[in-house]
Amino acid sequence: MVEKCFIPTSLAEALEIRKETKARPLAGGTDLMVQYKQGQGITPVFPWPVMIISSIGELRGIEKGEDGSVLIRALTTPYEIANCQDVPYPVREAASRMGAVALRNSATIGGNIGNASPKGDLPQPLILLDATVVLKSLDGDREVLLDDFILGSKKTDLRDDEIIYAVRIPKVEYTHVFYRKIGTRRANAISKLSLSCLIRVEDGAVTDFRASSGAAGPKVIRSRETEAILKGRRLEDVKSLIPEVLDGWNRAISPHAMPEYRRNTTRRMLEHFLLESVSASSECIIH
Amino acid sequence: MIEFVLNGRQVRFSGNPLTRLIDVLREDFGLTGTKEGCGEGECGACSVLRNGKLTTSCLIPVGAVCGDEIVTIEGLRETEQGKCLIDCFAEAGAVQCGFCIPGMVMAAQALLLCNSHPDEDDVRLAISGNICRCTGYDLIVDAIIMASEKGAGLW
Amino acid sequence: MVRIDDRIRRIDAIEKASGKAKYLCDISLDGMLYARMVRSTIARGRIVSINVPPLPEGYYFVTADDIPEGCANSLWMIAKDWRCFASGDVRYVGETIGLLVGPSLAVLKALEESVRIEYEEMEAAISIDDAIAVKGGPILEKDDIHCSLTSQKGGDIDQILSGAAQIVEETIETGFQEHVHLETNAAICTIEDGRYTFYISCQCPFYVRKSVAGLLGLRPEDIRVKQTTTGGAFGGKEHFPDVLAGPLLVAEHKIRKPIKLVFDREEDMIYSVKRHPSKIVLKTGLDSEGNILGSDIRVYYNCGAYLSSSYVVLQRGVFHANGVYNFPATRIRGYGMATNTFPSDAFRGFGAPQTLFAIETHLDHIAAKLKVDPVEYKRRYFLRQGDETVTEGHIVEKVVLEEMLNQVAEKSGYFRKAAEYRRGSGRGIGMSFYNHGGAFTGNGEQSIIKAHLRLVKDGDRFTILCGQTEMGQGFRTILRKIVASVLEVDMDDIVYDNPDTDLVPDSGPTAASRSTMIVGRLAEEAAMQMKERMSEEHVEIETEYKHPEGHPWDQDTFKGDAYLGYGWGCACVEVEVDKLTNEVKVVGIWSSHDIGRAIDELIVHGQVNGGIVQSLGYASMEKMENRGGHFRQTSMSDYVVPTSMDFPRQEWGLVDNPYEWGPFGAKGMGELVFNGADAAYIDALERALDVTITRIPMPVEDIEGARA
Repeated sequence: MVEKCFIPTSLAEALEIRKETKARPLAGGTDLMVQYKQGQGITPVFPWPVMIISSIGELRGIEKGEDGSVLIRALTTPYEIANCQDVPYPVREAASRMGAVALRNSATIGGNIGNASPKGDLPQPLILLDATVVLKSLDGDREVLLDDFILGSKKTDLRDDEIIYAVRIPKVEYTHVFYRKIGTRRANAISKLSLSCLIRVEDGAVTDFRASSGAAGPKVIRSRETEAILKGRRLEDVKSLIPEVLDGWNRAISPHAMPEYRRNTTRRMLEHFLLESVSASSECIIH
Repeated sequence: MIEFVLNGRQVRFSGNPLTRLIDVLREDFGLTGTKEGCGEGECGACSVLRNGKLTTSCLIPVGAVCGDEIVTIEGLRETEQGKCLIDCFAEAGAVQCGFCIPGMVMAAQALLLCNSHPDEDDVRLAISGNICRCTGYDLIVDAIIMASEKGAGLW
Repeated sequence: MVRIDDRIRRIDAIEKASGKAKYLCDISLDGMLYARMVRSTIARGRIVSINVPPLPEGYYFVTADDIPEGCANSLWMIAKDWRCFASGDVRYVGETIGLLVGPSLAVLKALEESVRIEYEEMEAAISIDDAIAVKGGPILEKDDIHCSLTSQKGGDIDQILSGAAQIVEETIETGFQEHVHLETNAAICTIEDGRYTFYISCQCPFYVRKSVAGLLGLRPEDIRVKQTTTGGAFGGKEHFPDVLAGPLLVAEHKIRKPIKLVFDREEDMIYSVKRHPSKIVLKTGLDSEGNILGSDIRVYYNCGAYLSSSYVVLQRGVFHANGVYNFPATRIRGYGMATNTFPSDAFRGFGAPQTLFAIETHLDHIAAKLKVDPVEYKRRYFLRQGDETVTEGHIVEKVVLEEMLNQVAEKSGYFRKAAEYRRGSGRGIGMSFYNHGGAFTGNGEQSIIKAHLRLVKDGDRFTILCGQTEMGQGFRTILRKIVASVLEVDMDDIVYDNPDTDLVPDSGPTAASRSTMIVGRLAEEAAMQMKERMSEEHVEIETEYKHPEGHPWDQDTFKGDAYLGYGWGCACVEVEVDKLTNEVKVVGIWSSHDIGRAIDELIVHGQVNGGIVQSLGYASMEKMENRGGHFRQTSMSDYVVPTSMDFPRQEWGLVDNPYEWGPFGAKGMGELVFNGADAAYIDALERALDVTITRIPMPVEDIEGARA
């Protein structure tokens, strides 16, 4: 049992503490305080030193870059993300459906990706958009693809002296986009399954197509191989390629529980997205 | 030493910063109106306002509220807004076993602070993290809309 | 002055909403210690050894060995088989083995985690099918059947079925349901004025003292029980508080300091009683025109390791298995199965919801087969006044199901929508009919309960003394309103506090939808007598339950009028299903109930809303699985109950049908409102997707299976 707890007030201080003690950051508490709870009237017990970083102002806020990318700093809450028009649609949608009101006021994007739960809401659309994680340590910065940063269920590539500073979402052009989360109920729900898709159609040809599945395996699933099936194809050929895409996607996902439901629903949603996209007359969000 | 503002009063807590806020409120400050329903942020019974925003006090370590302003049902019930809300909950028949209701009142307050004229959908969304096993919610929704009307101008 | 039809406020609303009401967890006594249970981690086996770490000073470990010699290690619920502490063997996961007591919660938690219990594990029976197969050898003396009974009416059912033109046979199953009262189970045991005293969140304070007294060789009246403001119960605090109170009493006997035991949510979720899972096999014979000739129904309830109150639950299940219908012949055989799961116990509806769901769904399936509207089909068989019941009794009251059907059909547009929405179109509307027998089964009120109530006048104040508890259903308000209305005084002139067994007569448990109908009636009578004596300064009136004439009952053969009267219900649910994801959106809920007459319409409104939402949760999202004796859903994030956004605003109505023996014409209603929305929901869902569903709950992933 380790009882050490630090409350740094600046990023520099936090990085010092991190390096010296390996204390892990605790921000909103919405994951860690549950994971290490002991019950009513008992203080949670963590197996490692903790630093409460919620008062570090440098870790807050959303910023739009000149290149069209969006930088979301680690302590930004789902409420703030959901209400920021600079943030791409599927990420905003995912944020707006995370937990319930109080959780959306407390949870943080840094925590959601750092905790790397297969049921986490934000990694799925972020990975769709090839978002990167900006990591800071006293030795400097490191920026890695979120898809590479999350190694598996509850596992990340975070080093002992690093802190998640921000998530950067590059500018991604698309003509049609889709986001769905199927939760345990209509609100205040944990994800049973989620799917994001986007497609870019230019001059009658598909120039980009992506999909990502949440809660359908130990980590968020992308399949570049399957995505490649449609890239560069003429729009009128897409329909005939749908079965191949669906089969490829079905091989990519590996749902553990409720496999039949997760596979069939993912298949239906993906097919729906593609059929709606090819028949849509203009850019739009597919529902 | 952790300092924060509790129901308008500057307070200090000198224990373990990882102590859950709910335990500090109930044990150290005797504010038992904040209830523990689940201990993991799923039921909303422990809801308080943190800097005007709804928060589940079972999930925040007290060390995270340094300098923050915390309002519990004990603080809210002394205000005109709180009195109006509590009165409307009683008038609308929104209270059954009552265990979820202090948290529900806090959720209503958080809503009205940013939207003084909510419609039914707004209300349902605002209280969707507050579980009530007794009422089926309809009369709670009525109570909050009633408060927004009767208490027009308070928010 | 208050009149029975006045719109009034609940007397406890302000103190609860403002956070001033004290629930058990809010109470702290001087020198109080805390307790934590040590429980079995296996479903079935012999205890080889219990290794407790060295206890710091001021800490105790209390077990069956602390029960004084010659006293029984048993909790006297309805049966006496539930042990206070497991001893020698364990029969379910979560069975109490010991109680750790001491001043620090954190230390107790750490101690609990370091207690090592060695078992010799045996193969466990978990499901009804396991119990039927007597998996792992008999749990009871020779088999796994705790209890059984048969009810029948009409001719020989085997013969009737063998002559039928067509037989529709199916098995319908329902799952566990957890109460999730927002306040978890909690109790304090202490000694006041030399007597063992409980503060406890419970429905039935008299049950508690009766149940635990024998542990110390005491009489029930040697123990004092004070009910504290109770944050929801739904049956979960009918007998289950005894499971906390028993070990606490034994600990108190040893330690003699106030001891508090409050369950965390996880404990309350996985180590508490549940609604009985059921498996119901229905076999219905039809003639060549599709008319029902008779029904043969077998009902299996998973009772868990101990019988406790399950025989009574099973009886209610059997007596309601025919629904609100009169078939020419019916046979219902019920079996309460013993398994190595946490004992099942009371939950709003008390055995009726399972069989009512089954018969409603079964009739929906028959109607679908015959290609007739299920409502049109069902109404042909509606019970009417004077009809014979499955217990060879009669329906005594006027039945107004047709009126209720019409009320609901008109508001919902049922017949238009039912014709318009094609099966499988993604939209569906369903309707169900149900009833609930009021108060204790048969002559239980007369022979077992013998309720008493006292009304005391001191000047201008009137004090009601009875054992009925407020758990959220509104009874503290209801009973005052009844008395105040008769006396023509203000609500404020009436005192009616949470019961203390030292101060109030035993008016029976707060259960079985009996409080308003039975105890409310006693209060009305007392108030009517009091009204004759208003000029006197001090008056005490005690009323006693009298069984209404014309309700014969034989408890040995289960024949006669099983209930004094029934509440009746009709619910309609409309859904839209997203065929991509199976997500079900409920777009309309309508209901009509016959509860005799409402004592307080606002309270009834809240009961209707809450009961229906609980029933819809039961049918849709509330999935509780048991694997190897362990409940898999351990928290409120994986056992989900409805939020404010899951179901839309309800339209509700009542029919006026005053009940002769109830106060102001009122009947019971707290359970009735739970009994039918589940079937209406499943009916609507089946029509929307053109599927056949034979079990609940039906979350999205299970709908996938039905679609396959």
